[in-house]
Order: sequence, then structure tokens, then C-alpha cells
Amino acid sequence: MPTPLPTNTDSSLTLIDRVRRALGRYEPITAPTTPPPVIDESITRLVHSDIGLSELFAKRAEENKMIVHRVYPEELGPTLVRFLIDQKCTRLALPDSPFLNKLNLIDNLRSAGLDAKTWDRMMLDEVYDCDAGVTDVFAAVAETGSLVIRPTAQHGRALSLVPMIHAAIVQPRDLVADLVDLFDNASREGNRNGLTIISGPSKTSDIEMNLVTGVHGPCAVGVFLLQ
Amino acid sequence: MANAYENQTLDENTTRFLSEAAESHFDFHSVSTQAAGDERLKKAVNNATMRQYTGRQLQLLELPDADKLRTLAGNIKQHALENLDYYLELLRKNVEKNGGQVHFSTTGEDAKRIVMKIAMENRCRSIIKSKSMVSEEVNLAHALEDAGLDVVETDLGEFIVQVSHDKPSHIVAPIIHKDRASIAKVFSEYFHSDYNDDPQALTAQARLHLREKFRRADLGMTGGNFLVAETGQVCVVENEGNARQSMTTPRILISMVGIEKVVPRLSDLSVMLKLLARSATGQMMTIYTSIFGGTRTAGEKDGPEQFHLILVDNGRTEILASEYRETLRCIRCGACLNACPVYRKIGGHSYGNVYSGPIGALITPLFEGLHDYKDLPQASSLCGACYEACPVKINIPEHLVRMRRDIVRHKFNGRLERLVYRLWGWGLRFPFLYKWIGIAQKFDLRRRAHGSGWIRSLPKISAGWTQVRDMPAPAKRTFHQVWKDRPQDSQNPN
Repeated sequence: MPTPLPTNTDSSLTLIDRVRRALGRYEPITAPTTPPPVIDESITRLVHSDIGLSELFAKRAEENKMIVHRVYPEELGPTLVRFLIDQKCTRLALPDSPFLNKLNLIDNLRSAGLDAKTWDRMMLDEVYDCDAGVTDVFAAVAETGSLVIRPTAQHGRALSLVPMIHAAIVQPRDLVADLVDLFDNASREGNRNGLTIISGPSKTSDIEMNLVTGVHGPCAVGVFLLQ
Repeated sequence: MANAYENQTLDENTTRFLSEAAESHFDFHSVSTQAAGDERLKKAVNNATMRQYTGRQLQLLELPDADKLRTLAGNIKQHALENLDYYLELLRKNVEKNGGQVHFSTTGEDAKRIVMKIAMENRCRSIIKSKSMVSEEVNLAHALEDAGLDVVETDLGEFIVQVSHDKPSHIVAPIIHKDRASIAKVFSEYFHSDYNDDPQALTAQARLHLREKFRRADLGMTGGNFLVAETGQVCVVENEGNARQSMTTPRILISMVGIEKVVPRLSDLSVMLKLLARSATGQMMTIYTSIFGGTRTAGEKDGPEQFHLILVDNGRTEILASEYRETLRCIRCGACLNACPVYRKIGGHSYGNVYSGPIGALITPLFEGLHDYKDLPQASSLCGACYEACPVKINIPEHLVRMRRDIVRHKFNGRLERLVYRLWGWGLRFPFLYKWIGIAQKFDLRRRAHGSGWIRSLPKISAGWTQVRDMPAPAKRTFHQVWKDRPQDSQNPN
């Protein structure tokens, strides 16, 4: 067994002490010397209204090169299947989500001949052999046209990252207007599991500023926005 | 793996760069002169920086009041710096609450030792590393390679840098100086494949290679764009997805971050994120923004089993104590590089260190010592484009002038320069003498112009001036003469 790392208290005290000295203090402070700057929403907020979020989100997501389908719940299954077949996907990974279960999505996909597995019945390594991840989202930000994923035991990080295709199902109640709202909500809940904000397919412009999509993440992101 | 790249031929520019860097005294003049004469380099850098620069300007128009948002962002960072001891303590408490471990490292050597220790104790063989300026600053990848660990840079640009044994030359676009032909050549040698210079094909080749690395890696490394004190989390932005891979598959995750990256609250990110990508690449948001920290929670099948946050000082506390404290606000967006007329002409390698452009001219001397990098603060026209571009409003030109003062104060400027200024100062005390020296100088300069109005070359110590541009010949009459003969009524406007 590896020996435990030396506790960091000693060296850490030295460094924080040095920081404190650098700031001209000798004793620890129990609160900041001044309150942190007030975040004035008239400067930070870009989206002020909750009306038309669905349209705004769809527009921005498309600008982010995501493929947006606005569908009614009953059309979701067939539209999703068509998208996945167009993208040449056969092996799919899904989170273990009550919402997706309610939509009966797995049956829809399987009856179309697709090999769909849920996260609770998979090993992480299997996701590397999947063609697509089909997920729900924690939130969707209209301002930036972004999907927000919160990793949990039921929804692994790999699902929206490892397969070449990501299909995300967004309900109207997932939509938030602005990043300001997203972070306000997250800080109220403590955000222990963290968040990943996704604003398009993985890309790079490293080689002579040429845009190439699909570097280490999905090369295409389909968004299925329920009406 | 230690010296896997030893037998490969080095990039010509890199050879030059490395040999320059090997000398104890960094020779800015010769490196930058050579770079400024390299048309291919200049074109590549100009093209990329102009695109990012115009992208930034278009994106800032989307904001209700970009100027006020920049002020707010600057204030948030400044507040965090003024209370850094408090917020570091809070951050540590919260990281530990989330099951992570915090390590403080005073020097780059400490930081590397901590990484190595974690890797050895957990018997990690394969390390995937995403882009991080602080790891570049402490030269982490080389140290890990030398220790026999299999470490791979997974950002496409950094991967290309690693396999071609080059150095990054831009904070956000590391291979801005390379063209596709040189990348294709390196790839065909590295992968033993046919030459193909299509960016799509090159990217696909790297993707395939790195995907297997991701799948098997047991240690992932990231940097951090922000540290959120109130939640004990790290925020990383990226476009490719490799940083996300680092925090997904490997059982151990290390984030190495400079202590100045702290912000107090999660809600501060809404301010910072609205500026960072816009300022860096002219994007509204980067493709991925991950906020993470701590270990995987009960029942999770991916994410790290161990999370280590290494906080790096490496000279930052000294800057914090100095009148350059404000420079620690920097969020490494690269906007000042793209805006800088000097950077566009000489590229990033000319700055002789990991941080280039205006911010590099400022912080490299602070990190590495003013004596060895005393030319950098002079490599600026003080036009202020960097200040205008900075999303956290660091007054770079003002600090550069302050640093020039330090150079004089420490007598780091040349002996000759000091002598000239002393003589000048002495001459100013004797108006009669000053006047006649001026007149003599005027005659001499006008003679050198040969009646053309332009002086094409000057001798000895003034030669540098006319090496790259002509100097206008002085006017026939000196200012003193003109002043003396001015119409008398102009003395009294009424």
C-alpha cells in the first residue's frame, strides 16, 4: 500500500502565511476586508425576459452548430431514430433517467433496431465503443444556446463526451434565460457534483485557423427541443 | 519514454529558440530581429491574431456595456487578490469537504515533486494532460517524461508541440507559428504514415491516437481558469473536450492552478465567462465549460476516485506584495497579444518565455528576474491597445513604464546609456553649452542627410535607429531660434 501523502498543513500554512504577509497582514482575517463587488444585473444580464426562451435557445444553439429539432413529444421517437440512423449510429448509451423512461425512449430505439443500453447496465469502457450518447439535460441556457449536464450516479460524464454523436433532449422547463440564472440556481443548491456547459460540437482551429469539428468530443450534437 | 524524441530532427525555429534559451542571458534583440524578418511567420501570426481580434470586437458588441463589465470583472479579481489569504483558506476547506486534497507548492520544483509523488504512490503509468499555462511555466511535461512516465499532451496544439519538440507561442493558440506543411511532416514521421496536410485528416489522426490514451489513462491532469472559493471547485474552459476526458476516465485527477485564479463566488463566473471566450477567440462561450472538484460521489461510475488540487505560488506572492499586484488579475485570454502591434510582428517565441505579448513583457521579468529580461518592458510602443483589450483592465502600459523606471533604478540599463543621460543632464544645467552642442549636432545631422531631408544611416551607438528606418533631418532653425523670433503679440493673446 502506498504511504499516505504528508499532510499538507505545514507547507500550506507557510504559503497562506506568505500570502498574508504579502498583503501586509500578520493575523488571519475571518471575513474579507471589504464585501465582494456587487454583481449588477443591468451589466451582466443579456436576456431579461422569460418569454420566447425556446426560440432564442434554438437560434443560439444553431449558431453554435448544433442540429436543432423542435418536436412534439409524440414525434420525438421517430425524429430521434431518423437522426441517429442518418448519423450512422447503431450502439447507443443513455443515462438512467426517469424522464427518458417516461418517454419510453428505449423501446422506441430498440424497436428501430438500435442497440440501446442504459448507464446503470454499462461499464465506463463500453461507452468508448458506442456511436452515440442520448441524454437529457440538467438545464439549457437560452442566452448562449448551451446544454448543461450535471454528472450523477445515473448520468455519467462519459455519455455526452465519449461517443462521436451526442443527442440531447431538452424540455421547456430545462430552459433558463441567462448564465446569471444558471449560476444563481447552482449556488443555491451547492453544486457539489459540478456542471458541464456544452456549446456546440467539439472543435479546434489550431491548424492554420482551420475549423475542424470532432476533436476529442462529439463531432455532431443533435438537440431535440420538446414543444 | 524519457528521450523518445531525441532522434527526431528539431524544427529550425525551435533549435534557435532552445539555444537562445540555454544562454543565461536572453538576447531579445537578435531573436526578435530574426523573427521580424521571417515573412512566413509574420503572415501566420498576423492572420491568426487579426481574426481573433476582430472576433473579439464583434462579440463585445453583444454585451449591454462591455466597459462596465470589464470594470466589474477587474474589481472581482482585485477583491479576490486583496483577500487572497482568506479565500485560499476557504477554498481549501471546501475542496476537502468535497473529498479532495489541496497541496500548496512554493516553487515550480515543489509542484512537480507533488505530481510525481502522487503518480508514483498510486502506480500511475499513463498520464493524460490537458493544456495549462502554469504547467508550461514549471515545465511539468518534461519533468514527468524524464521520470519515465508516459505523459501525453492532449490539446491538439500542445500535442503537436510535444511531438515536434517545439514550444508554444501563444497563450490560447499554441501553434500559431506553425503551418500545416510542418505539422504534416512531423505527423508522418511520428505515426509512420503518408504525408497528408489536410487539417481535417491531421486532426482525425491525432484524435484516433489520443482516444486510446484517454481510454487507458490512470491519471488525468488539468489546469484551471478559475477557482471558486465558496464551492471548492475548479472551472476549466476548452473547445476540444480533452480536459473533460481528463476528469472523466482516469481514477486520479490532478488540477494544477496558480493561486491567483481564485474568485469568491460561483456567481462571479457569470461575469468572467461572459468575457473570457469573447476576449480570447471571439466566441460567445467556449465549447466546454466544466466546473468540477472533489471525488466522484456515491454510485458514480466515472470521474476521479482521488482529486488533488495543487496550488502554485512560483513567485506570485512576491508580485502580490509589490506594486505590480494588479497584474495577477490576468485570466490568460491572450487578447492583449492579439491587439499588440509588436507581438504581431515578432511572434511569441521572441519573448523568450511561456508568457508572451504585452502581458508576457510584464510578468516574465516579474517571474524570472528583471535583469535577464530587461529588454521586454522596452518592447512596447506604449500605444495602449493591450489595456483597451484587457477584460480585467490591467493597465499594462502604466506597469511597463514603472518597470522601465525599475530598470534605471537598478542600473540594469547599459553603462553607455547611463553615461549619455548623465552627460545630457549635466549639459542641461548650462544653457549656453547646451545651445551650442545642439547647433553643432544640427549641422552634423543635416550634412548626413545630403540635402535629401532624410538620414539613412547613423554611426556607432545611434546606428540602431537607422537600421530599420530613416530619420528625418532636423529643421534649419532650432526651436530656440524659432522661439526667440516669434511675433511678440503671441506672448500675450489679448
